[in-house]
Amino acid sequence: MRWTYRVMFLTLMAVIAGWILVAGNVKLPELVTAALRQPTGSADLVYYDPLPAGAMDDEKCEWVPASAGTVLAAAPQDGAPALAEASGKKPVRMIRDRYPSYSAVAVDPSNNEVVLTDENLFNVLVYNRLVNTSAAARTEPKRAIGGLKTKIEFQSGVYIDPKNGDIYAVNNDTVDTLVVFSRQAKGDVRPDRELQTPHGTFGIAVDEEHQELLLTVQHDSAVVTFEKTAESEDAPIRLLQGEHTLLADPHGIALDTKNDLIFVTNHGSVHQVRPGAVAASGRRRDRNLQKSNWPLGFSNAIPGSGKILPPSVTVYPRTASGDAAPVRVIQGPNTQMNWPTGIAFDPRSNELFVANDMGDSILVFNASANGDVAPIRVLKGPKTLIKNPTGIYVDTNNDELWVANFGNHTATAYKLSAAGDTAPLRVIRSAPADQPTLSIGNPHPVAYDSKREQLLVPN
Amino acid sequence: MHSIAYDEIHDEFVVPQQFGQAILTFRGGADGEEVPVRVIQGSLTQLRNPDRLAIDPVHNEIFVPQGNAVLVFPREAKGNVAPIRVLKGPDTQLGASALAVDPVHDLLIVGGNVRGRGSRLLIFNRTDEGNMKPKAIIGGPNSGLTQISGPFAVYPPKNAIVVSVRGSSSESNEMSSDECFVGVWSTQDNGDVPPRWTIGGPKGILRMVRGVDLDPKNKSVIVTDKRLNAVLTFYFPEMF
Repeated sequence: MRWTYRVMFLTLMAVIAGWILVAGNVKLPELVTAALRQPTGSADLVYYDPLPAGAMDDEKCEWVPASAGTVLAAAPQDGAPALAEASGKKPVRMIRDRYPSYSAVAVDPSNNEVVLTDENLFNVLVYNRLVNTSAAARTEPKRAIGGLKTKIEFQSGVYIDPKNGDIYAVNNDTVDTLVVFSRQAKGDVRPDRELQTPHGTFGIAVDEEHQELLLTVQHDSAVVTFEKTAESEDAPIRLLQGEHTLLADPHGIALDTKNDLIFVTNHGSVHQVRPGAVAASGRRRDRNLQKSNWPLGFSNAIPGSGKILPPSVTVYPRTASGDAAPVRVIQGPNTQMNWPTGIAFDPRSNELFVANDMGDSILVFNASANGDVAPIRVLKGPKTLIKNPTGIYVDTNNDELWVANFGNHTATAYKLSAAGDTAPLRVIRSAPADQPTLSIGNPHPVAYDSKREQLLVPN
Repeated sequence: MHSIAYDEIHDEFVVPQQFGQAILTFRGGADGEEVPVRVIQGSLTQLRNPDRLAIDPVHNEIFVPQGNAVLVFPREAKGNVAPIRVLKGPDTQLGASALAVDPVHDLLIVGGNVRGRGSRLLIFNRTDEGNMKPKAIIGGPNSGLTQISGPFAVYPPKNAIVVSVRGSSSESNEMSSDECFVGVWSTQDNGDVPPRWTIGGPKGILRMVRGVDLDPKNKSVIVTDKRLNAVLTFYFPEMF
C-alpha cells in the first residue's frame, strides 16, 4: 500500500514538472542548476524572475502617477514613457526638530551676553547672560542672526571680539566660509566680513596679542592660522599638518597666551598625506586656485594609511607649523575622553576644560598634564543637565563655566570649580524640557532597516 | 559620514569611515558604543577617502567608489585586505562619488562628476573590472542631472534608479536650491534622458536633498535634506 502511494506521488510530481517545462517560463538547465545547488553557508541568489527588456516601457499605465498635479515636460518624441513628476508632492512624514540645538558658546562680558550657535535651524543666537529659564519655558533671545544671506549653517565654533563685540562664527562641513558680524547684526543680513576657509573647519581661537586667528580642520587633520583681520581669499600664515603632529580629526582649540601654547582636542581618526605635495585650494568650484599654507586634502591622501586612534588633547607651541610634533599629549583610558570636542583654558588656575561629547561630561585637566592621566575633576550626572556637550567657554570675568549641550536644547552655566553631579547656576533653553531632542545634525545618507522598520540616519 | 547601507539578509549595516580610511560593519541592532563586527582598513585596501558605499547582500560584496575607481571587497572581509575587483581606467569614464548595485539584473550603477562632462550615471555589469566601458550612460542637459547630491538607490523589480539631485552649481545654490529634487530613471535608460519622475522638487519642499533610500513594503521614498536638517518620507506607490 505504502509502495503504491509512493508511485502515485512520484507520477504526480513528474506530471507537474513536465507541465512547468512545457507551459511555464522555466528552462531545464535552471531546474538542474537549482536541484544541484549546495548550501554555501552564505546568502545566495537562488532564483529571480527577470523582467523582459523594455518591460517598463510597456507599462505606461504604471508610469502615470495618480497623484501628480502637473506634467513637468512634454513626452519625449521617441515613444519613451511620458515624463511625469510629483515635485509638488508633500511628504507623509518629516522628522525635524522644531527647536534650536546649541553647539558652540561664547560670552561677551562687556555686554553681559551669551552667544550660542544653533546647528539645527541655523542661527547665531544672543541671550542675556543672567537669564535663567524654568524647565517648562523657552528662553527668548535678544537677537538672532540667520538666513541664507548670513551664510550661517552648521556653526561649530564661535568667538566674541572683546573690544567691539564682533561675532566670529565657524561653518563646519557645508559652507567653507568663516563669517564675522558686528554686535548689532540681526536677522538675515550679510556678514560684515567673510573668510574663505579650508573644508571642514570646526574650532576657533583668537590670539588678540598677536592678532591671529586659529582654526582646526577636521577633514585634513590640520590647524591653520590666519591674520585676525583676514578676509575673502586671504591665505593662512601658518599651517600645522602631518604625521608627526598627531592631529587626528581635530575639533576644539584653546590658547594659553602666557605660555604661548595651543591645545587641540582630537577625536582620533586620521590618514596620512603625501609630504611635500602642493595643495589646491579655494572654493569647491575653483579648485585650481593655490594658496600658501593650505592643508593637503584627500587628493593628496596616502591610500590605506588611515588609523583610528584613541581621542586626545595635543599641545603645541603657539607658532608650531609644518609637521611639528606636540610637546605633550593627554591620551588614554584614564582620561575618560570620548569625542572630546570643545576646549577652554583658564590661565589663572592653569586648567583645561574639555566638553566630552559622548561621555556627557566636562573633564577638567591640569593644563600641564601629559600622558594617560585622570581628570582632576569631572562634571557629570543628571543634575548637571549635561548632554552631548559640544561647546564650552570659561568666563574668567564672572568665574563661570558655560556649556552648550547639543543633546538637550540647553546651555548651562556653572561655577568654574563645579564638580560631580552639580546643578547649573542658570539654564538657557531653546525648548521646554519635555520636548524630545532629535540630535540631527547635517543628515546625509539614510538607510531603511526593514527588519526593525527603523530609519538609520548618520549625522 | 556620508553613506550607510543596511543588509537585510544578514541584518547588518555598513558605513564608510572617511578620515580613518575604513569600512565598518555593525550588527543590525547595534546600539550605543558597540564595536563593529568587522573593519576593513590598511595599506592593501587602496581606500583613499571612502565616503560612500553600497552593499550587495546577495553576492556578498561591498562596493566603494573612489573617484576614478570602484573597489569591490568581499562582504565578510576584515582587516588589511586588497579589493577582489577594481574597476578603473580611461574607458570606464568614471567619476565615482556614489553607487548602487542591482543584484537581480547584475548591474552596477555609478554616479559622479567628471570635469567637462558633468554629472552622470554610468551603468556597468555588476562584475565588470579593469578598464571596462559602461553599458549605458545617463546624463546631459535634458537629464537634469546637474549635481548628484548623495547616496542613491535602485529598485530592481521596476528597474528604477532613484537619485538625489542638488541643482546647478552656483553660489546662490550652495546652501539651498529650488532646483533640487529626487529623480527616477530606469536602468534601461541611456543618453540624455530626463527623469521619469521627480519627487519633492524642483520648486518643491526639498531645499538641499542629500541621501535616498527605499521602503518597498510601504511604497515609500525616504530622503534626507541638509538645509531642512530633516528626514522626509514620501509615499510614492506609483514607483513600486
